[in-house]
Amino acid sequence: MADNLGQFWQLTGFANATWEHLVMLCVGLFFIWLAIKKDFEPMLLVPIGFGMLIGNIPFNPDAGLEIGIYEEGSVLNILYNGVSAGWYPPLIFLGIGAMTDFTALIANPKLMLVGAAAQFGIFGAYMVALLLGFMPDQAGAIAIIGGADGPTAIFLSSKLAPNLMGAIAVSAYSYMALVPVIQPPIMRLLTTKKERVIKMKPARAVAQSEKIIFPIVGLLLTCFVVPSGIPLLGMLFFGNLLRECGVTTRLAKTASNALTDIVTILLGMTVGASTQASTFLTKETIFIFALGFMAFIIASASGVLFVKFFNLFLSKSKKINPLIGNAGVSAVPMSSRISNNLGLEYDPSNYLLMHAMGPNVAGVIGSAVAAGVLLGFLA
Amino acid sequence: MKRNLLLLLALIAVGCASLSAQARKGLKINEVMVVNDSNAVDEYGRHAAWIELFNSNYAPMEISSVYLTNDTTKKTLYPVPLGDHATKIPKRQHVIFWADNRPTDGTFHTSFTLDPTKPNVIAIYDADGQTLIDCVTVPVLKPGQSYARIEDGKGDSHAAWAVRNGSNEIENDYITPGGANKIKDTNPKIIKFKEQDENGFALTITAMAIVFSALLLLSICFWIISRINTRRYKRKKMEAHGMDLTEMHPDDHPEGDSGEEIAAIVMALHEHLDAHDRESSVLTINKVRKAYSPWSSHIYTLRQIPNRR
Repeated sequence: MADNLGQFWQLTGFANATWEHLVMLCVGLFFIWLAIKKDFEPMLLVPIGFGMLIGNIPFNPDAGLEIGIYEEGSVLNILYNGVSAGWYPPLIFLGIGAMTDFTALIANPKLMLVGAAAQFGIFGAYMVALLLGFMPDQAGAIAIIGGADGPTAIFLSSKLAPNLMGAIAVSAYSYMALVPVIQPPIMRLLTTKKERVIKMKPARAVAQSEKIIFPIVGLLLTCFVVPSGIPLLGMLFFGNLLRECGVTTRLAKTASNALTDIVTILLGMTVGASTQASTFLTKETIFIFALGFMAFIIASASGVLFVKFFNLFLSKSKKINPLIGNAGVSAVPMSSRISNNLGLEYDPSNYLLMHAMGPNVAGVIGSAVAAGVLLGFLA
Repeated sequence: MKRNLLLLLALIAVGCASLSAQARKGLKINEVMVVNDSNAVDEYGRHAAWIELFNSNYAPMEISSVYLTNDTTKKTLYPVPLGDHATKIPKRQHVIFWADNRPTDGTFHTSFTLDPTKPNVIAIYDADGQTLIDCVTVPVLKPGQSYARIEDGKGDSHAAWAVRNGSNEIENDYITPGGANKIKDTNPKIIKFKEQDENGFALTITAMAIVFSALLLLSICFWIISRINTRRYKRKKMEAHGMDLTEMHPDDHPEGDSGEEIAAIVMALHEHLDAHDRESSVLTINKVRKAYSPWSSHIYTLRQIPNRR
């Protein structure tokens, strides 16, 4: 009996716990606290935080219980396949496509360039990551955090640097939650009072036929340029066609609600569970968080600066408010809301939300294209 | 009728596409050893000449019913038997066929041997027995030598092949039955990037140019589409008013009214018509029957799921 109890004790979490496990459990609890108490991206941080708890409960790996996320055949390992093989992110993109209204972008196509400019955050971070000694493939995987797109970050890191994926995913989602904190100071710093009150012309009405053509032409043009972006862009535009064509409303609803919710739960939980102490509590993780932060700043700044530069070539009546430049990162619709709120702060009658949605959704396309480029060059 | 015809055409197109997808073009003869005196042994422990095939596709390939031959006048000399799961080659993997004239020993034992005294022509034909998939002429080899592609599945010319002596000291001289002909312990692409683009400037400029051009293309395309649409809208508007294009007032919005204007018009109409005085629908209270389930029972769960929003 005593032997049995002794053996059982060896299997418990108490016998196998290390300080690293406890640190990771605290990180998981912190994420859950952030989500519930501070309302920071709760849909993502609750699954990720709880996944961290699941993944970091200590157990004896030699017992052959097949319970760990990295143990082949375990339930968690089967669910984790969607992350490691990279098929959860395209499914999320299907949902994003089905949820996204591209009208603002179609009405003012030049705003697409703002979405392109903000991708400089990715490549700026890439250069700094190289300076810090990361290999080009790892640097590319880390830099994609600057795209402010969690699924894209997971997709690319699962292909380029699977060992860093946990830290990259957590970093990407953390900074997406912190967009309202990070972006406004940059926007204020880079714009003048006069620029912040620029009123943009209301967007024209967009015909339904244009909305239907957009995903088809968008897919063909972008994927012909960057075929490696097909998994993300293909699903994004497919989801959007389901939404706009008017004859697949049921499919669009499923893609944007039930499917996205299911995949978000599985993706968040398994990414959280994959962040095990041995791979997470490293010097690289600190670098990844620092680089992610920097990538976000560069991306937001380059969007704002690009609008200012673009304004030099536009007539007075067509000037763009640089406060929508930050929305070039693909944190939809959070960064658009920030543009709108900041615009209203300086002029209570200046609603920028719909204008900012243009670069915002262009940012989704831009970051998927950038991921495709990095995948094409570095895979 | 027209609809059925279109459906038929679509089905034919899909059928053709799947047929061409079935073609086993990616199957390559990758390495051959004619005189095997001390190299790999088969499952019976015997040394025999071997032919390595490589699936160069990035998808698994089923090779049963293809033909392997050493005589192009007898294209169907050895049909790879059906019904063996081992004939499905995983992506970018290899299989070995023993050229020992012992087809009864198993799927991977051919019905022919290779002649060490003269060059051997080895070919693979597709299931129709006519379509050549790959062919190579193996020169006369010394015992223990192999004739191998320099890189797995790459190149069709003679220059893509080399005679290997099996030395482990010299790079690319090792013999690799069932393995990659060029052993890569690092990703050469990444090493090259690290060496040639140390600071990442080149990649940054190239990648940003690609991202910009992709979105610029899309932007131009939609600018053109919006122009066409605006013209169409303008024409329709003129037709509706019975006007000529030249009569249009500069203050008119040819591109259509903005959302704000439409909202203002709708609100004005609402005010003017005092709409919603009488609704077309009637509000009633109907008893709704819900199927009982313990999962949604308020008795068992006792309270609702909290929702702060």
